[in-house]
Amino acid sequence: MRLRQSFWTAIIALTAVAAPLAAHHSFAAEYDGSKQVTMSGKVTKVEWMNPHAFFYVDVKDEKTGQVTNWAFELNSPNYLMRSGWTKSSLKVDDLVTVQGAMSRDGNKQVNASTVKLTATGKVLFAGSSDPNAPR
Amino acid sequence: MMRFIAPLLRVTSVAAVVFLLAGTAHAQFLDEWVNYKWKDVPRTADGKVNLDAPAPKTADGKTDFSGFYMPRDFSKLISIAGNKPEDIPLLPAARAIYQQRIDTNGKDHPGVSCLPSGIPEKLSIPDGLKVIQTPNVIVFLYESRTIYRQVFLDGRKLPKIDTDDFQPSWMGYSVGRWEGDALVVETVGSNGRAWLDMKGLPGTEALHVTERYTRPNMGIVNIDVTIDDPKAYSKPWSFKVTWNLRGDAELIESICEENSKDAPHMVGK
Repeated sequence: MRLRQSFWTAIIALTAVAAPLAAHHSFAAEYDGSKQVTMSGKVTKVEWMNPHAFFYVDVKDEKTGQVTNWAFELNSPNYLMRSGWTKSSLKVDDLVTVQGAMSRDGNKQVNASTVKLTATGKVLFAGSSDPNAPR
Repeated sequence: MMRFIAPLLRVTSVAAVVFLLAGTAHAQFLDEWVNYKWKDVPRTADGKVNLDAPAPKTADGKTDFSGFYMPRDFSKLISIAGNKPEDIPLLPAARAIYQQRIDTNGKDHPGVSCLPSGIPEKLSIPDGLKVIQTPNVIVFLYESRTIYRQVFLDGRKLPKIDTDDFQPSWMGYSVGRWEGDALVVETVGSNGRAWLDMKGLPGTEALHVTERYTRPNMGIVNIDVTIDDPKAYSKPWSFKVTWNLRGDAELIESICEENSKDAPHMVGK
């Protein structure tokens, strides 16, 4: 029962602080919200620039051992700063686990919803333009 | 069952707490440069801008709309029609354009190429905007696209747009007049390329937008918007937008061309 209560408290808290998305482009024309993925790896590059910050992660395929560099799109740096990020929240060589929606065109690109920093366990909400993403 | 749910509950709870803590941290961070305390505004006992205070007035008794705002929500940006598309009196050709944009998930929205919104879409863009009011002109500075809009209050008339020397534009040409505490703004001269919302309601060069601005208190600006575009709609129609004051906040530069990478990947469906 206590768990159930904390669950709803969490949901209400998340809903209450929901902030608007930055509107640069249609989410649905570029990403498929029904194809949610979770990937882990080492950050290779961070682009802290408008209209969308991007970061890149080397993701290793556990079966084949092959490493692929994936691009992850965030909201705008302005939005992210107002949501608690700084330009050093994500750094090259950080280990991260990212959850988000796959691009529609087969490009190795994901619209990130949450970014979890492995070192601290801190979860950063990415201000995804996916209407169903956590905020 | 609980075996599966419990970890989820924990993760969700932790996520909410982390997020809330992040919010606290960001205020402290931004306070150092962008959240400078405004001068000459009413404050509550805890030092925050008093959003419930009466709307400020200018020296000549007009409503003062100066301030830094963000739209209350982004529902009108996503779709003005919402779940009532039948309320929008689209003419057949405009309906076809609208449907084509819906069918392609809005992939051709001008914003994808960093082009700006026009009026009325600009009213709902969820980035900061700053209003600077003087007796003869109100200037809107928009964070998104780092663009401006002027509304002239000096008594000039709307320009004739069907002349050879008139140049249509994304923002159009706006003049305002006072009706009691309300500011009524009329805009013509749009270039017909801006969408009215991200879903794709079209506008043409015949677009005539009337906005009625009121500020019931310090914290809120209401805008009643009327769209009159006889080349796209069979009759004028209206909707409402609300802005919230963001006390002690400031514009942050945003240059869209700096890192715009989405256009090649906007496949639609």
